[in-house]
Amino acid sequence: MDHCAARAGMGMLAFALLTPLSGCRAAQGGSSMTAQSTMNLPAESAAGAVPLGQLAGAPAETATSLSIANPYEHNPQAIQAGRQLYLQMNCAGCHAYNGKGNMGPDLTDTYWRYGGLPVQIYNTIHDGRPQGMPAWKRALPPDEIWKLVAYIQSLGGTVSVSNYEHARQGDRPGDLIAPEAQAEAQP
Amino acid sequence: MRPRIAMLCCGLLAAPAATWAETPMSYQRTFGPAVDPVTRLAWGLGTVSLVVIVVIGVLLLGSLLRRRDAADGDSGQLAVRHDGGGMAWIYVGSGISLVVLTGCMVWTLIVTAAVARPPSPPLLTVQVTASQWWWGLRYQGAQPDRTFTTANEIHIPVGQPIRFELASADVVHSFWIPQLAGKMDVIPGQTNVLWLQANKPGTYRGQCAAYCGVQHAHMAIFLVAESAQDFAAWQNHQLAETPMPVSDSDRRGEEVFQGHCAVCHTIRGTGSAGHVGPDLTHLMTRGTIAAGLLPNTPGTLAAWIANPGSLKPGTHMPAQVLSGSELKAVTSYLTTLN
Amino acid sequence: MGRSASTEECRRRSRGLEGSFFRTSHSCLRVEYLSSLFDRFHSKVLFACCGLLMVMSSSCKRSEAPIPVNRPYETGNASFTGATLNSAPNDPPGEWRSQAHDYANTRYSTLDQINTGNVGKLRIAWTFSNGTLGGQEAAPLVVDNTMYVVTPFPDELYALDLTLPGEPIKWVFKPNPSPIAKGKACCGPVTRGVAYANGKLIYNLLDDHTVAVDAKTGKEVWRIKMGNVETGETMTMAPFVVGNKVLVGDSGGEMGVWGWIAALDVDSGKELWRAYSTGSDSQVRIGNDFKPFYDHMKGKDLGIGSWPAGAWKHGAGSVWGWISYDPQLNLIYYGTSNPSPRVPDQRPGDNLWTSTIFARNPDTGMARWAYQTTPHDRWDYDAVNEDILMDLRVDGQLRKVMVHFDRNAYGYTIDRATGEVLKAAPFTYQNWSSGFDMKTGIPTVNPDKEPHPNVKLVNVCPPDIGGKDWQPSAASPRTGLVYAAVFNMCMDVTDNDVSYIPSSPFDGMDMKRYPAPGGNLGEFIAWNPVTGKKVWGVKEVYLTMSGVLATAGDVVFYGTTDGWFRGVDARSGRVLWSQKLGSGIIGQPITYLGPDHRQYIAIYAGVGGAATVHVDKEAVKGFDFPAGGNSLYVFSIDGDSMSNGQSQLGGMDSISKKSPQSGTSEKQ
Repeated sequence: MDHCAARAGMGMLAFALLTPLSGCRAAQGGSSMTAQSTMNLPAESAAGAVPLGQLAGAPAETATSLSIANPYEHNPQAIQAGRQLYLQMNCAGCHAYNGKGNMGPDLTDTYWRYGGLPVQIYNTIHDGRPQGMPAWKRALPPDEIWKLVAYIQSLGGTVSVSNYEHARQGDRPGDLIAPEAQAEAQP
Repeated sequence: MRPRIAMLCCGLLAAPAATWAETPMSYQRTFGPAVDPVTRLAWGLGTVSLVVIVVIGVLLLGSLLRRRDAADGDSGQLAVRHDGGGMAWIYVGSGISLVVLTGCMVWTLIVTAAVARPPSPPLLTVQVTASQWWWGLRYQGAQPDRTFTTANEIHIPVGQPIRFELASADVVHSFWIPQLAGKMDVIPGQTNVLWLQANKPGTYRGQCAAYCGVQHAHMAIFLVAESAQDFAAWQNHQLAETPMPVSDSDRRGEEVFQGHCAVCHTIRGTGSAGHVGPDLTHLMTRGTIAAGLLPNTPGTLAAWIANPGSLKPGTHMPAQVLSGSELKAVTSYLTTLN
Repeated sequence: MGRSASTEECRRRSRGLEGSFFRTSHSCLRVEYLSSLFDRFHSKVLFACCGLLMVMSSSCKRSEAPIPVNRPYETGNASFTGATLNSAPNDPPGEWRSQAHDYANTRYSTLDQINTGNVGKLRIAWTFSNGTLGGQEAAPLVVDNTMYVVTPFPDELYALDLTLPGEPIKWVFKPNPSPIAKGKACCGPVTRGVAYANGKLIYNLLDDHTVAVDAKTGKEVWRIKMGNVETGETMTMAPFVVGNKVLVGDSGGEMGVWGWIAALDVDSGKELWRAYSTGSDSQVRIGNDFKPFYDHMKGKDLGIGSWPAGAWKHGAGSVWGWISYDPQLNLIYYGTSNPSPRVPDQRPGDNLWTSTIFARNPDTGMARWAYQTTPHDRWDYDAVNEDILMDLRVDGQLRKVMVHFDRNAYGYTIDRATGEVLKAAPFTYQNWSSGFDMKTGIPTVNPDKEPHPNVKLVNVCPPDIGGKDWQPSAASPRTGLVYAAVFNMCMDVTDNDVSYIPSSPFDGMDMKRYPAPGGNLGEFIAWNPVTGKKVWGVKEVYLTMSGVLATAGDVVFYGTTDGWFRGVDARSGRVLWSQKLGSGIIGQPITYLGPDHRQYIAIYAGVGGAATVHVDKEAVKGFDFPAGGNSLYVFSIDGDSMSNGQSQLGGMDSISKKSPQSGTSEKQ
C-alpha cells in the first residue's frame, strides 16, 4: 500500500470516528432496578381480604392471607427507596426520624396495635386508622407501599411471616408451649 | 491522489461545521462572557499547540529525511556536525518557547480572572436544586413574595449576569450549560455558586455532567435567554397562581391530581405543595418534560403519567394506578396549566 | 436587727386590710408579746396568758375585709422592683376562676394561710384521678365551692363538690371529640384548661370545637366548630374571657395550618370576629389604628409580602398559648406560633406575623401594635408564652409593661401601650443570637446557628422547645419579681425538605435535645423585670415544665417532670418544702379556700406533652421520664381536710343526704 492510500485510509477512519461523536444520541441506559411490572407484588384483593380482627366462628386462624410475604423484604434498594418515601411522605413527622414515635406510635418496638405482619402493616398504610393515620391508597401505588413496609421491616420490630399463625395469639419465637395449649393449636 | 486528499481534508473540516447546527452542547462556540474568554483561550492554545506540533514535526521530518553527506557514512564519526550553529538551535528554540509559554500563561491568568467574577453585580439569583434526575429552580425575588419555584427550564434576560446557587437533594451532580459556562459540580451538603451571562437570545441546552445514577444521561436542562421585557413577562406569569378549574372535566382532573399527585407535586393555587417532584404550576410553559427527555405534548404527558418507568427506567416517579378516564382527566387538566 | 425594729416591721407587715393583729402567720409578733409578758408577770399568770393567747390564735378566723374593685395589689416594702399588679377582674380571693387567675396573668393569690413559716407542713389532703392518661397540663378551677377539672383527650370535664367529704363527683361531661384529633396534636392530646363565664364553663376540644357547659348541671349549652381537624388543625389552648366575649385560638404550628384567634359570644357561642396570623391586612385585622413601634413592622400586607409566593397560606402562626388583658387600655395581648414549615430555607422572608406578640382591641379584633420576637424563625421559637402585665419604673419613668419570657431565651419587658422593648436579656443559656439591637428591636442572628437542609447543625441553644415553653410564670406584688420554670438545653438539628400534604406534619426538623453547660435540664428562677437579671435560681436535673403559683405567704410553687412538687421562699429562693408525686408535673398549680376556710394547694401530676416528644427516652438522665399519671393532688397544712380523719367519712351517712330519686348528693 502506498503512502497516499495509507493516509487516505487514516483520514477516512478519523472521519468515521468524528462524525458519530458530533451528533450521536445517548443510548438508553440500563437499569439495575427491576421494572415494577415484573415484580411479583401480592394481589390487591389478597391484601384487602385480610380481616382487621379475628374471623368469627373459626376455632383456629384459617386466614392464610396473613402469611403474605413482602416481595421487597431484605431488598436493599427497596429499603432505601422506602426510607426516602418515609421522609418525603412526612411519616417522619409523626413517627420521628428514627422511627421511635411521637404523635404516631413507635415503629421500632414490637407492639403493633393493628398487627405487625407485613400484610397488616401494608393495610395500615393503605387504609389509614381512626386515630389520625392517613390512608395512602390513593396517593401511593401498591409498589411504593410495599417498599415502605420493607423499610419498616428493616427497623426490626415487625412480626416475621413465618410466625404468622401465632402472631395474633401473642406468641414469640422460642416460647415454650404447654401440652394443653399445643392441643388447642391443632384445628 | 490530490483530489482524494482534497476531498479528505474538506470532509475532515466540514464534518464539524456541518454538525455544529446539531450540537447544542458544543463548547467550541460560546455566547457569554463567562466562557467566551475561555473559548478564545482554548482555540488560541490549540492553535499554538498545533503550530508547535507542526514546527517540531517539520524539523523532525527534516532531520529524518535529510540526505546525509557520503563522508558522514564513515563509521566511528559522529553524525552530528560540529559547527558553530548547533547551540543556536537550542537558544533560539528555548527562547521562542519561553516567550510563547509565558504569553500563554499570562493569557490564561487573565482569562481565569475574567471569568471568576461577573462584570457587574448580578441582579438575579436562581437557586438550583439538582435531584435524580431533574432540576428544581427557585428564583429569588427582590422581595420575598417575588420568590417562585419552577423546574427544568431556566429563563434569563439577555446581556445580564445571573448568579446560580447550586445545591443537591441527593447525590453529586454537575451543572453544565456548555455554551454559556463551564461545569460546576453540585455536591450534597454544600452550595456552589456559578455565574453566567447570555449575550445572544436563544435556547441553550445543558446537561448533568457528573454520573448521578441510572438516568444521568437524561438529565437535561434548557436555558432560554430572552429580552428584558419578555423575561419580566415570563417572571410575572410564573408568580401568578393557577385559577381553580371551572369546567367539570378540569375539576375531575384536579381531583385526580389532588388524590394521586399532590403528595409529590405543587400546583400553586390549588392547595397542593408537594416538594418531591417538579413544580407544575405553569407546566405548559415548558418545552419538554422529564428533564428534556420528551417534548411537552398531551400525548407524551399521558404516556409519562401512565408509566414513567417505561420511558425513563429507574425514575423515582411511580406509575399510579389510574383508570383510563382518570388518566384522560388529569392529563387534560395538566394541559390547561399555562 | 434589734427587737424593736423587728417588732415595727412585723406590725407594718401585718397591718393592712387583710387579717387581724393576732394572725398565727406572724410568729415574730407572738414571740415579742410572750417575752414582754414574761418580763412583767409571774409564771402562773404567764402560763394563763400563754394559754389564752394560744386558744385565741387557734380559733380566730381570718376576717376578710372586701377588696375594693380595681385596686392594685399591695406593694410590699421588701419589693425588689416596686412593681404593681392589677387584680382585675377581682375574683373572690378564695376562688380560682380562670387559668391565669386574672386579666394580668399574675397567677398570684392573696391567700397566706400557707406561708414561709408553715409550708414545710404541707401534706396531701385528698386526691382525684380523672381516668385519662396523657399530659395533664390544665389547672382546676374553683368557683362557688365546686372544683372543675378537665382531662386530656377525650376532654372530659368533671365537677367536684368541695362541700362534702370525699369531694364527690357532681357531674361529668363527656363531649366525645373525633379520635382523628389524637393523631394531629404534635405535643400530646392535651388541653390547657377551662374558662368560666356567666355560669358556664367554656373550653376547647381537641377536634376544633369550642363547647360551653352549664356549671350547675353539666349539660352542654352550645358547641361551635371552629376548624377542620382533618386538615391537621387542633385546639389545645385555654379560652380567655373578657367581658361577654371568650377568646380562642388554634394549634398546629407543625402541621401547616393557618393560625388565627377568634372571639365568641359567651352566651350563644357565635363567632364575633376572627384575626388570622398571616395573609392580607384585612385577614390579619390590621387597619388604620395599627401603630407598630418598629419600622420593620410597618407596611402593607406584610403577612403576604414577607413570604414566597403562596407560602403564607400554610404559614401557621397558630394561637395556642396565653392571653392577657388591660382593662384601662382595652387591649388584649397574645403571641403567635412559629412559621410553618420548620425548615426556614423553604420560606425566605421575615414570615410575618408568626412568632409575633399582638395587642388587639377585644371588641373589634383590630390590631393596635405588633412585635415579632424572632423574625424568620429558624428554630421553632414561638411567641405564645404568657405576657404578665405590671406597672413599674424603668429609667425613673413609670411604665405600663408586659413581662414575657420568650422561647428564644430572651426575657422581655415591653411597653404594653406601644410595643416598645424596654429590656431584652437572656434568662437562660442561648447561642443562636449574638446580641439585641435596641434601636430596631431585632435580635442579631449568629450565622453559625442557621440550619440548612441536610446539614447537621450541632449545639444550637436553646432547642425547639426554647428557653421556656408554654408553662406559665407568675408574679408577686410583694417581691416585685417574676417567677418562671425555665430550661437549660441545647439541640443538634438537621433540617429536611418537606412537602405540604394536608393532614400530615409540615415540619422537617430532626433534632436531639441535651443539657446545656451545667448539666441541669431545668431551673426555677426569680427574675427582675426592671434590670433584666436573674435574682436567684434553683437548678433541677429534670425539666421544669410546670406552671408557677405565687402567693401572699411569700411561697412560690412549681413542679418537675420527674414528679417533685416544691414550695420555695419567694425572696431568698430557698426550697422550703418538697413532695414527690405519682408522675411528672407539667400542669399549673392553684390555690383556693375550701368551704372549711382552709387554704389548699392543688396540682395535677401526669407527665406528657412537649417534654416527652422527640426524645430518646433511654438516652439522657433527665429524659427518663416516669410513667404517665392522671391524679390531682390537693395539699393543706398537715393534710387536714374534710376528706381524712378518724371515722367512716363519706360512708353510709352520705346516703341519707341523697335525694331518693336523683341519686345525686345535694349541697348541705
